[in-house]
Amino acid sequence: MRVTFRLRNAIVAWWLPASILGAWEGAAWLRLLNPLFFPAPSAILAAGWNMARSGEWMTELLSTLQRMFQGAGLGVCAGFALGLLMGVSAPLRTSFEPAVSVLNSTPKLALMPLLLLIVGVGETARLVPIFLTGFVTLSMQTLDAVRGVDYAYVEMARNYGARSRDLMWRVYLPACSPQVFTGLRLAAGRALVITISVELLGAPDGLGRVIWMAWQTLATEKLYIGIFTTSLLGLAFHQGLAYLERLAAPWAAAKARGQTG
Amino acid sequence: MKLRIVNLGVAFPAPSGPVQALRGVSFETRDREFLCIAGPSGCGKTTLLRVAAGLQKPSEGRVERIPSAADRNGQILLVSQERSLFPWMTALDNAAFGLEMQGVPRRERRERARRLLARLGFEGREEAWPHELSLGMKQRVAVARCFLSDPAVMLMDEPFAALDCLRRMELQQELLRLWDESHKTVLFVTHDIEEAILLGDRVLVLGGSPSHILTEFRVPFDRPRSSALTFTSEFLDLKRSIAAALGMPMLKEITAG
Repeated sequence: MRVTFRLRNAIVAWWLPASILGAWEGAAWLRLLNPLFFPAPSAILAAGWNMARSGEWMTELLSTLQRMFQGAGLGVCAGFALGLLMGVSAPLRTSFEPAVSVLNSTPKLALMPLLLLIVGVGETARLVPIFLTGFVTLSMQTLDAVRGVDYAYVEMARNYGARSRDLMWRVYLPACSPQVFTGLRLAAGRALVITISVELLGAPDGLGRVIWMAWQTLATEKLYIGIFTTSLLGLAFHQGLAYLERLAAPWAAAKARGQTG
Repeated sequence: MKLRIVNLGVAFPAPSGPVQALRGVSFETRDREFLCIAGPSGCGKTTLLRVAAGLQKPSEGRVERIPSAADRNGQILLVSQERSLFPWMTALDNAAFGLEMQGVPRRERRERARRLLARLGFEGREEAWPHELSLGMKQRVAVARCFLSDPAVMLMDEPFAALDCLRRMELQQELLRLWDESHKTVLFVTHDIEEAILLGDRVLVLGGSPSHILTEFRVPFDRPRSSALTFTSEFLDLKRSIAAALGMPMLKEITAG
């Protein structure tokens, strides 16, 4: 019973990617596809294996991860703090919310040329757009989460003698945590895209650079490796954060499970 | 502690001018008394309790708090009808929340909460999240949390109103048992006349527009009381009088006939 259930779930989850890959491989073998644009998945896998063995794959992956964590990590921390402060203080909200909204609708990559002029070519110019992406996403989501906290719970806690510190730790933070995690997932996805983009625009290392160099040298297999690695990285962030959310807000996870059956 | 409500008035702002919910409400709880206030829905019962709890400012009048020697603290705690538990705490942590705010160490407060919940039929479900509990179970936790804090006054805002008849009787009995051990000052509002008589030492009738105290009934029945009381003719007589005071016309005819 349980095994068939799992099997069914696995089939539902995997039939689409498996069919696409199978059709692609078959078409490549039958020479229906131009190998310069669409090399067979097996050829891509072989190229990937070579990159992994030489250590190139890991080096570039780690460079991208480091860049993303430096920029977006700092960004989401600052964004979370500002979001909380804006949520509990009307003057702060009035002062900062318009600026954050404007920043949200500004394409972060469009700032790159300006940054290159101001700080010169270097890592700082690459980190700022990544930082801003994490910062804007988290501050907006956190603000929204704090404002959405049901005041009945704040009153109830106060009635039992809660002070500001208790309200923060026992009411606001837990009440906000599901939406803050949604913000983190959004921020991770967006920051990854921006990280790859700034690397495409010019960086000494990273997956974006791998993609760019592969295009310059027509090493199409490597290009696909760069793209697939990025996609899998995005998936890994999503799953990792979903796991952390279950640890941090088990009540919300239990509720969501109950609702989907 | 005693609460003395003096000439209390509450008005709410509205687009067409302020709406007067309560006016000239005056009464006093006795020390360690179970005082019920019965009134129809929308008569300002919740507002009255929120003002008494200090969650809302009255537009006129005042609430005086008169401490007594039996008080362990000056707390006035409110048990509400809905959203009475924090969704992110287990039943046990919810029940222990008052003790947590009083600085009782984690181990001790959880043990005390566990013991009280066990008495309320909670074995094995202490670690459930509120959304996994039935309404009756949730309200048990809310009542347990209030009793564990040992406040000077308990304010109860129709805590059992959303329960079906059998669950409500169960919870009324449990509330009575807990209260018989402590005899805290309780102010209990309800639209259910039977509930008011079964639980209270006195019943105040709230009504009119704007609402004020219409009349007062003393409940003469001995404690401990059980649901069997509600079928006696003395009980029904009192119920009929209170219903008439609330202005239910068909019941007046029955009384007349």
